[in-house]
Order: sequence, then structure tokens, then C-alpha cells
Amino acid sequence: MRTFWNRRSFLQNNVMGLGYSALLGSIHAKGMLPKYRLKPTKYKQRAKRVLFLFMKGGPSQVDTFDYKPKLKFDHGKPLPFAKPKVQFAKTGNLMSSPWEFSRYGESGHYVSELFPNVARHVDDLCFIHSMHGTNPAHGAAVLKLHTGSENFIRPSMGAWVSYGLGTENQNLPAFISICPTLAHGGAQNWGSAFLPNTYQGCPIGNASIEPGDAKLGHISNKVDSISQQRVQLNFLNSLNNRQNRGTIQPELEQRIEDFEMAFRMQTSIPLAQDLTGESEVTKRLYGMDQSISENFGTQCLIARRFLEHGVRFVQVTHSALKAQWDQHGNLRRDHAERAAQVDQPIAGLLTDLKIRGLLEDTLVIWAGEFGRTPTVQGPKFDGRDHNPNGFTIWLAGAGVKRGFKYGSTDEYGYYAKENPVHVHDFHATLLAFLGIDHTELTYPFAGRDFRLTDVHGRVVNEVFA
Amino acid sequence: MPRLFWITIITFGLLFKLLGFGSDLKSIERNWSFKELTEPKVPNVINTSWIQNEIDNFILSKLEKVGLEPPLNETERILQRRLSYALIGLPPPKEIQKIKLEKAVQNLLESPHYGEKWGRHWLDVVRYADSNGLDENLAFAHAWRFRDYVIDSFNNDLPFNQFVEEQLAGDLLSIGKSFSESNRLKIATGFLALGPKLLAEPDPVKMEMDMIDEQIDVIGQAFLGLTIGCARCHDHMSDPVSTVDYYKMAGIFKSTRTMEKVTRPTKWFEHNLSSVLELKHSEKHESLIVAQKNLIQAFKEKENAKILSLGKVKKLPKNPLVHYSEKSKKELVDLEKALSEFEDSRPQLNFCHGVEDGNITNLNVFIRGDADSLGEKQMRGFLELFPTKINELPNDMQSGRLQLARWITVNCQALFARVIVNRIWLWHFGQGLVSTPDNFGASGAKPTHPELLEWLACQFIENNWSVKSIHRLILNSSTWKSSSYVSKKMLERDPENLFYSRFPVRSMEVEAIRDTCLTLTGDLNLTVGGKVFFYENRKHVFNVTSLDQTNYNVNRRSVYLPVIRNHVYDFFQLFDFPDPKIVQGNRDPIPTTQQALYLMNSPFFQKVSRGLAKNAQVPEKRSSVHRLFMKIYQRKPQVDELSETIEYLENFPKPLDDLHPLASLAQAMLCSNEFLYVR
Repeated sequence: MRTFWNRRSFLQNNVMGLGYSALLGSIHAKGMLPKYRLKPTKYKQRAKRVLFLFMKGGPSQVDTFDYKPKLKFDHGKPLPFAKPKVQFAKTGNLMSSPWEFSRYGESGHYVSELFPNVARHVDDLCFIHSMHGTNPAHGAAVLKLHTGSENFIRPSMGAWVSYGLGTENQNLPAFISICPTLAHGGAQNWGSAFLPNTYQGCPIGNASIEPGDAKLGHISNKVDSISQQRVQLNFLNSLNNRQNRGTIQPELEQRIEDFEMAFRMQTSIPLAQDLTGESEVTKRLYGMDQSISENFGTQCLIARRFLEHGVRFVQVTHSALKAQWDQHGNLRRDHAERAAQVDQPIAGLLTDLKIRGLLEDTLVIWAGEFGRTPTVQGPKFDGRDHNPNGFTIWLAGAGVKRGFKYGSTDEYGYYAKENPVHVHDFHATLLAFLGIDHTELTYPFAGRDFRLTDVHGRVVNEVFA
Repeated sequence: MPRLFWITIITFGLLFKLLGFGSDLKSIERNWSFKELTEPKVPNVINTSWIQNEIDNFILSKLEKVGLEPPLNETERILQRRLSYALIGLPPPKEIQKIKLEKAVQNLLESPHYGEKWGRHWLDVVRYADSNGLDENLAFAHAWRFRDYVIDSFNNDLPFNQFVEEQLAGDLLSIGKSFSESNRLKIATGFLALGPKLLAEPDPVKMEMDMIDEQIDVIGQAFLGLTIGCARCHDHMSDPVSTVDYYKMAGIFKSTRTMEKVTRPTKWFEHNLSSVLELKHSEKHESLIVAQKNLIQAFKEKENAKILSLGKVKKLPKNPLVHYSEKSKKELVDLEKALSEFEDSRPQLNFCHGVEDGNITNLNVFIRGDADSLGEKQMRGFLELFPTKINELPNDMQSGRLQLARWITVNCQALFARVIVNRIWLWHFGQGLVSTPDNFGASGAKPTHPELLEWLACQFIENNWSVKSIHRLILNSSTWKSSSYVSKKMLERDPENLFYSRFPVRSMEVEAIRDTCLTLTGDLNLTVGGKVFFYENRKHVFNVTSLDQTNYNVNRRSVYLPVIRNHVYDFFQLFDFPDPKIVQGNRDPIPTTQQALYLMNSPFFQKVSRGLAKNAQVPEKRSSVHRLFMKIYQRKPQVDELSETIEYLENFPKPLDDLHPLASLAQAMLCSNEFLYVR
């Protein structure tokens, strides 16, 4: 082995490690290593990793998981209380759900006929019916959900999690987003803002790319074979080692290690994404045999494989070219279609995670950026407007109180009423599931310590098992 | 005894007043950065032979205190490379390589490419972009004019105080100026207009206040290193900035027109830069279009009457055209063709992003930032921290931006000068004398060399705010010419290089990496300025379809590539390019795995490697290697490097063609630290 002066040999050669710890300190200061490492907080670490199923556009709570019999009864009547001061658009009178609700499981939770397959899992789910946000426009609400702020530039929750917990697998990134949307905040929704860019999410494709073709940028080489690259990398290392002689620059060494990691990732990422080894039974389980659910099923299956390989935070976005849960009109037709696209894949994913034991330490989140109004919109009386004032999300998996529902909206499902949970509270709770106190996970920027929840956030202890 | 007691109290009280400690405690605890500037004494040093100018005295006196020798001087070849990247962001041009360093400094400061490199630094600070980002990512198709304004200003060494005044109030300064000068000044206000805005915010009050907040926040951080934005909801936690101060300043921007319309669909304001002649020409053209439309309408009416009277139809059908005679049909086609030609040849009018004065008004404090709970009305003004005379305050005739600009450059002079000289130092050394360049408040870092910072700030003001004068000082110092060699003693006594015991090795900025690669293959188009952006103004660069239409296949310098917020060019985004939505005076040069993937696998690096190999390839391998080394490293290979390289070429497994081994070698060299870092 060629002798050169690197920080390890330097440490070995100088038993006292003179200056080394200070050097390491400066690496920390530069953010090359996470400053925050999980130390015991008042929250038990219930989840090791997170799977976020993001339903872009705003699925209607009153047509899916938040059953409101009074809405049917008062169909066509005006809303008996005031609409919010700021609305996205004008809406009319109350409109009952076009879908029937039935009770499922031992918990007897009501689910509409839009989600017959997810409904079979209700006893594993924990619904939060009293979610509320701050902004009724898509962009602002999507940013709020992903970064905690609509108008300031802040790191995404996945970036905070990877900053807080680091990676479980040295050969894979800590935060992966599968087919994210490029609209409404785009990269900001998986970005690291002022956190070091090591913590930003790795997008696999985007919403306009078929999940089967989605790849991390530049993961493969179209000219050189792996063996040619290995030879090249050995040569590069030798060039660098010669050039580094006489200097101690942690950054220079980091670069050498990065090439080795990149080389390994070229194999490990496509391997994690490769579905050829998955059986037909599994693919059917994810709805990949049906054309309507094939795309989202593929995303979910890839997500499971990443989780299996130890990726800390995986986001799956349901936002293909035309598929958005944004029905200002054609609610009957399009909400039914959206639901059919995701119902079997999500149900299959939950089953699969359970069988593999992954559900025990993975927190699964299902959410849109907001819900929809119980009042009608559109010339055909077949639409609902954006509603950030009350909507439903659900959690499953690690440490989640199963078959439970928390909070509620008013009798029509317009406003969060009992035990309201703000988006900030959701973030605080998410971090608590990971054993992180949201007030402690901070990063210094522009003169103060920033956190995902800013100055807000209440941990909803009630949803813990 | 009691008498003595009272006398003591009164005397101390008077002393306090006389010494200007004022009545409030805040001023007693005044942060170092808020104090007046005083030119410090240049310290004496033992080793005077190392000294080239005063900067070296300040640096060496500290080094001597911790028992370190002055650093060695770097070799001429490495200094040329360092200098060239420092001033123009390109490899050393041939004409530089033969002349003395002092002369080279002068030459490069006169190069038009200097503005491209240093303008880009300023664009980092003012969060420049060609699209809105945030919620609705619409194209800022005229932003390039502001970018070119910044580049020109650096090239012309516009006094920095004037540069800042123009960005804040160019429109107000333009009154009575010549046509081109007035346009230049209006373009400068793009600084205020190019921030990310919540364009789909349904609450117009919030929409506007968020936008004003963004403007105040950028002004505070960019010019004064102060985080004033905090005071929107509460008094600043660590700096003397109150909510009252905030709403005094917010009133100035409430009185400024940044938006034409704040209700959805919102619309930002733009200056029309067209000349009277162009406007007249355009008006005339529009009237021609109207006339042609009228002509068509009249023709149709005539023909419709004709087919009715001829009895071809009883009632006018939906599409009467089919009943026209062949001759009339043809006539109509000709008329419509003429119309569409008129419409397609509309004379282009010129616009720029910017602001102008709106309705002059004062704001009430929004208690806890809430527009529904109003506090007292505040007359427009500035921070109490730096007092103003009454006649320097905004008046009822104008928004107050001009007064704000003067307040920043005059009343806040000391802080303002410290912030910018620290930025210049940081952009040369990769570390600031103050390590938090955008935060000079109490929560920011303290300077490592306070006297040097003061001295530089004084020189800057004395030299009429000339940025180039600071370059000359820095680049002609021994400190800047230091070697990057690290000894064990340096590591022991100066582990973080806070004393400048060696020159810091720095990774090249991503723009320099790209521009250098294109230079090496001879592909870089060195045209200065102009529009490269291809999106239609106010149109989505990304809508709900997520379809990616970006294209960066332009061989212009990197500073001219479009900056699309929320979807920055992946090459740039993976390296150290800043998030173009926030003020970023200090880039994050951390290497990452994704950078390595890009260097190894991207078509860009493969193309460049192959291009380099093609140019270097000659029948004899040794000569090819020699040529590659000269091109990429600007030096000859050492004996052992040569043998190892030849061995690499000869043993390269299963090459695809003749060129493959050499291309692979070139790529390895581009990936190497000697290329990617400047020492």
C-alpha cells in the first residue's frame, strides 16, 4: 500500500492525535457529519424508518375515511355556519358523498366504498380526522406539509430526518423520493435548504416518468463497464494519493471515499429497484397486474425494497400526469379513478410489510396536502374545493395505536373540531415516533437555531400504542 | 455622606450622557459590528521581510503570537492558476502565463470575464433566478437584464455604495436621466422584484406582506448582515430590532409597487423599457391589426348579406363560409393571412423586472404578524439602531426607498462596509474574517481578525467603495500568495486555519468546473451578456404535469445558464450552487456521493473526456499523455506518473475503440483533486 498522509494514518502516527479532534470539530461545523445524533430523549424510538404515501391534489375526507351521515341528510342545504374568511374559490351548499360507507374490522371504523382493500386493514390503521393546515392553495399547502413553511425556504421533513438519524445503509442514500412532483414547490419538497446538501432527498424519476423507468440521475454509465470503471477508480485513487501527499484536507479525502461509495451505489440502487426477482403473487398483491394500479403498485413495491435495504425515509408520490386528487368537478368519475389507482397497491403494501416484519419498525403515513369542502363546487354540482381547515390522514406501523381514531371534524366535515392537529403537530409527532424531540433537532442558520416545527408543534401522544 | 452619594450619582449620570451612552441600556451593550469605524494601527511584526502590504502585518502579528512562522510563498505556476480562478473563474489564459503576477492581477481585473465571476458572487447574495419557484413556478423572462446589470457593474467597478442605492431605488434615481441610463437604473431594481412569491396565495393581504417580508429579509442580510425579518412577529431575540422598526420599514415597501395585482391571478409589475419611437411603432402596428380585423368583419358581413339576398340560405347558419363563392372564399383567406402576418410580426417591446413607487402609505404594526390584530400606526422609517435626522426620513411624496438606500450607505456605513469587505475576503479565501457573512448580529460569529476587518473597511471607503481596490490589496499580499502546504506544527497550533498559517485548498465552484471543461475542449463561447433564456414570460416552467422542458445544452459561460428555482440544473444543484431562493454569502463546498456519480457517469463528463482525448491523441502514447497533463494540470507528468499512466493505457480492459483508454484517463484526471481543487 502506498504511503500517504491521510487523517487516519496521521492519527495513528501521532498517538496524542494532536489537532485531530479540532480538525474533526471543523468537519462537524461544516456539516459533513450530522451534529445531532440520536441520544435518548423523552420519546422512545418507535420507528426506525418512515414511508410517506403522498396523495397530491387533496383527497376528500368526507368521501373516503371521515364518515358524515348528517351530510347526506342535509344534502342541498346551505352550510349552517360560516365558511372560512379566506377560501380558494366559492362553493355552494352541502353535497352528500356519492359513495356509501360501511363499517370494517373489529374497530368498526367507517370507510367508503372507494377504498375496499385498504378498508380491510382498518384495525392496523390510526386515523387523525382533525388535521388542519394554513393555506388553501396547492403550492403553499404542499410546501407546508413537506417543509413546515409555505413562504420561507426550509428543509424538507425527509432532510431533517436524515440529518437527525443518518443512514442505515452505507450503500444507499438516507432519503429517497419516488416519482415526486416537480410542480408546487418541486425540489423544495425534498430539498435540504440551509442544511448541508448531503441530507437532501434523492429523487428517483419524477411524476412525468413511468415508475418502471424511474432512475436516480446518473446512476449508470453508458460507456464504461463496471470492470473498466474499477480500473479507472484505482488509477484515480493513485493520482489523488500522490497529489494529496503533504496536505491534510479532510475534504480531499472525503472526495476519495465518495467515489468508492458512488461506485457501490451504481450496483446497490438498481439492485434495490430491480423487481425481476419479485414473484407474480407479490406483483398481484401490489395491483401490478391491473393496468389501473400498475404504476402506483410499482412505486409501492420499489418503496418496500428500499425500506428493506435500510433507507431511512422513503416518499411515494401519487401524482402522475393526469392523476391528481383535485376534483373541482367530475368528483364521481375522477375520485373513483384515483382511489382505484392506489387502493390495491396500498393494501398490498401493508400486507407485505406485515408479512416481512417491516411494519413493526416502519411508520407508514398516508396524507394529501389538504382535504376538500363538504360544500359543492362546479357547474355540474359534482366537485369540491380545497379545504385545509379539516382533513384526514392515517398512520400505520411502528408504535402506532392500531384501530384507533383521533380527533374529529364538525358534523359536516368542514372544520377540525375536537383535538385539532395542525401540520406542525403532525411533524412533531412524526419526529417523536423516531425518538426525536422536535424542539431539540435544530440547525443554526441566519442567526438562530431552526427546526422543522419552527416555534410550534405539539406531540400527539395519544396516537402512540 | 448622603451628599457625597448624590454627587457621585449625578456625576456618573452626566458622564454617561456625555459619553453618548444614551438612555437605553441597549447602546451600552452595542455589538462590535454596530460601532463606529476607527482606522486601527497597523501592528508591528518581527519578520518584516515577509510583509508586502498591511494585510500581512495583521495576519503575521497573530501568527507570531501563536508561535508560527509566516507561510512559504507558493510557486508562480500555482499562483497563476489560483489568481485566474479567483478573478475570472477560468483556467489561466495564455497571455497571463508569461507576465509577472502584479501585472496579471491588473490584466485580469480589466477582463470582461471578471464581472462574470464576481457578478455571480453577488447573484448568490441576492437570490437571483429566472423563475419564481415556490408555489407557482412562472418564468421571469427578463431577469437576465438584472444579471447583466450586475456583471456590468462589477466590470465597471461601480462604487459599491452607488451599486446598492441603485438596486434599492434605481427607478427614483432615473428621473431626468438619459434614456439608456434611466433604463439601466430601472433594471437595477430587479433586485427587489426577483424574490420567490406565493403567487397563488388566496389572501391578498398575506400575499403582499409575505412579499414585503422577503424583500426586507434580503435587504437586511445582503447589505447589513442583519436578520430583520425576525421582527415581523416579535422583537428580535438577540439584536436591537423591534417590530416597530420592522413595520416602519415595511411601510416603505407597502408604498412600493412590486405587484400589479395581488388578487388571483396575481401579476407582478414590470418596467417598460421601450423608447418613444418603439412605443409609437408598436401602437401603429396594433392599430393596423385592429383595422385588418375590422376589414375582415366588414367583408364577412357583406358576404353574409349577399348569400341571404341570393337565397342560398334562409337563415344565417353557424358557419356561413361554406356558402360563399369560391372567389370570396379566396379573398377571405388572403385577408386572414394578412392578419396573422401582422399578428406574428408585432414589434418586440422591452421590459424588465423591477419596482416603482405605489400608493404612499404607512402601516400599523401587525401584532404577532397577524393582519387582523392591528397595533399602532408607524410612520415609515428605519431601525432605531442607527439613528436618522428627521429630514432624512421618508416623506409624503415618495415611498422612501431612496432615503432607505442613503440610510444604509451613510447612517449604517460602518456595518455596511464591514459586511461587504468580509464577503470579498471570503470569496478569496473560502472563509470570512467573520464566518457568518450574512449575520453580523449578536448571534453571528466574532471576527478572527477584528483590526484587519476594520482596516479593510476603512480602505474601502477611502478608495471610494471600489471593489477592485480591495482585490488589489488582497492579491498583492503575501498572505494571499501563501503556499497551501500544511506542517504538523500548523495543524497543532492552527488546526482550523483561523490564523491563515497556509492558503486554504478550495474546491472549484461548479461554474468554474463546467467552464473549464468547455474551455479545455475548445467549446466555450465567451460572448459576454445577453439573453439565453428560452421560456415565455409569466408561463409555468413546471406545472402539474411535471414535464421537464429544461435544456442546458448551451456552450455559454455558466453564469448565463437559466436558474430555474425548485429545479436547478442537476450538475449545479449536486455541487455547490446555492439554493436560489435564499441569501447565501457562503457556499457549501461539501463533496457528496451524487457529485461523484455525476463526475463518473454524466454525458457531460463523458463528452468532455472524449473531446480532450481526441485533441490529445497522437501516435506516440507518451506524447498523448504529455499533452493531456499540460492541458488539464498545466504541468508535465512526473516520471513515475508517466510510467503509471502508460501502463494504464496499455492495460485498459477491453476498450471500445482506440480513443477509449485515453478518454478514460482524461476523465480520471478531471475527477482528481488536482483538477477539482484550487490550491
